[in-house]
Amino acid sequence: MQFIINGLITGLLYSLLAIGFALVYNTTKVFHIAAAGIYVFAAYMFWWLSGYMPLCLAGGISLLLSMGLNYSIDLLVYQPLKRKKASNNIALVSSIGVMTIIVNLLALFFGNEPKSVSSTFNAVYDVGLFSLSQPQLIQVGCSLVLIIGFIVFFLRSQTGLKIKAISEDELLFAGLGYNSRRIRAFAFLLGGFFIAAASCLNVVEVGMDVNMGMNVLITAIVAMIIGGTGKIEACVLGGLTLGLIQSLVLIHFSTSWQNAITFILLLAFLFIRPQGLAGYKQRTV
Amino acid sequence: MEYILHIAFMLNIYIMLVLSTNVTVMANLLTLCQAAFYGIGAYIGTLFLMQFELPIIIIALCVMGLSGLCSIIITLASVKLKGDYFILATLGFQMVVYTILYNWIDVTNGPFGISGIPALKLLGIWELQGVYAYFAVSLIAVLLMVALFAGLKLSPYGRALRSLRSDEQSLQALGRDVSFLKGSAFFISAAFAGLAGMLYASYASYIDPTSFTLLESLFIVSALFIGGTGNIAGPILGALFVVILPEVLRFIGMPESIAAPLRQIIYGLALVLVMYFRPQGLGGKEIIK
Repeated sequence: MQFIINGLITGLLYSLLAIGFALVYNTTKVFHIAAAGIYVFAAYMFWWLSGYMPLCLAGGISLLLSMGLNYSIDLLVYQPLKRKKASNNIALVSSIGVMTIIVNLLALFFGNEPKSVSSTFNAVYDVGLFSLSQPQLIQVGCSLVLIIGFIVFFLRSQTGLKIKAISEDELLFAGLGYNSRRIRAFAFLLGGFFIAAASCLNVVEVGMDVNMGMNVLITAIVAMIIGGTGKIEACVLGGLTLGLIQSLVLIHFSTSWQNAITFILLLAFLFIRPQGLAGYKQRTV
Repeated sequence: MEYILHIAFMLNIYIMLVLSTNVTVMANLLTLCQAAFYGIGAYIGTLFLMQFELPIIIIALCVMGLSGLCSIIITLASVKLKGDYFILATLGFQMVVYTILYNWIDVTNGPFGISGIPALKLLGIWELQGVYAYFAVSLIAVLLMVALFAGLKLSPYGRALRSLRSDEQSLQALGRDVSFLKGSAFFISAAFAGLAGMLYASYASYIDPTSFTLLESLFIVSALFIGGTGNIAGPILGALFVVILPEVLRFIGMPESIAAPLRQIIYGLALVLVMYFRPQGLGGKEIIK
């Protein structure tokens, strides 16, 4: 039971990150590896600021900074490439470069050694069958609010519809007279918000180091694929499934095998059901 | 002198890695798992060196063959998947290989690595001693590889491979076996990365999984794209850049704690700038699609 709960909580965090990545990936088709950089950046800002101010405030500022950073990456790197009509692979390679720059700038300023946010809350609550620690409670609360808020927003609002439309066909979207640049900016800002939220919530419970981003990001991308590409709300399904499977694996194997399971799952999905659990069926993948 | 030769040896290793990545990038198949093949080669090579007393040529051929065989998974993925999905699959392969190297303690000794790897034996008799011998062997390997790739580019096979980048379907319509083309490209690429791994393992006489991480793969890809794709000069230039730059920084007298992140920042910056201003790379010929 404890395993299931832990798995679902990690799954929620994966979902957040996957939503952040999918927002950017679906609207712009850029394989945004630099999201790993944003993830680490948010965690470090959170850690750094929490030394000077209360945690909530530090988290809020870190979220804002990450949104700004994510947007400026688009402005400085992806948009110029798009204007040059560069291919997606070129954007991907540039993205690797951006990730390297962000991560190493952080390493340069804050050092390489692992860090953790000194939290004042570490009470553990027993709820019958399982127990929850206070950080976990915060994780569940915040991520549920964010995810439900996002899904309602995405499925009900005009902007959500526009994001869907732009992921289908950007040219047509622009041709119908909508401002595709505004939606793009919005996707990057909101994407940055979700990536940073996942990062801050994760850091409350466990420590961090500069190289953690890539691993988490790839897991989130796997969650996105498992959930179903093309449907941002399916990320939640994928995230929860992945979190659950990862923690059930823990019963039989050690933590270090988790990655292998994740990627074997990914390969299995890519080969057998590339549209994911709930995605649209596509003719070419 | 030993120091310079050491750098030259590492340069040769990276030239092999970057050149081998270029084979598949030439066919517009961007992979992020070259370090996995590098690692597979290093570990298989170690296994052979520790278990059997064989001449260098036979070990090299075995290592290349076995590393090449491991690329079948990637080939399957490349036939089935397109674009970002394929890249993601290669990422997955990289992570799986790393996890296996890290966790299969019985064979790989896990995170502790394997030390005391015996030196390569030329013709089974003369042990390669010192950095001179290794430099010579690696130089021969690089020269062979350059010659092979130069020939490959001019051959019908190389032309077919390069035409994969423009139009896969018309290639198929012209009766070329696309799966075979992709498979053989991955085989060659993996085989040479494996060879580089074996040379490195026997030179360093110690390996552990942290040399073969995803970051290493990204590093190799960065080197390739900074240097340039599609020809031979480009990858060599890229390897030169990433191997020489740290030494320059050290020469200036920068402390390691600053120099390590700084050189990564320079690589990243170079990559972003090159991709924008010269997408074919500094010395390259073709732009990846």
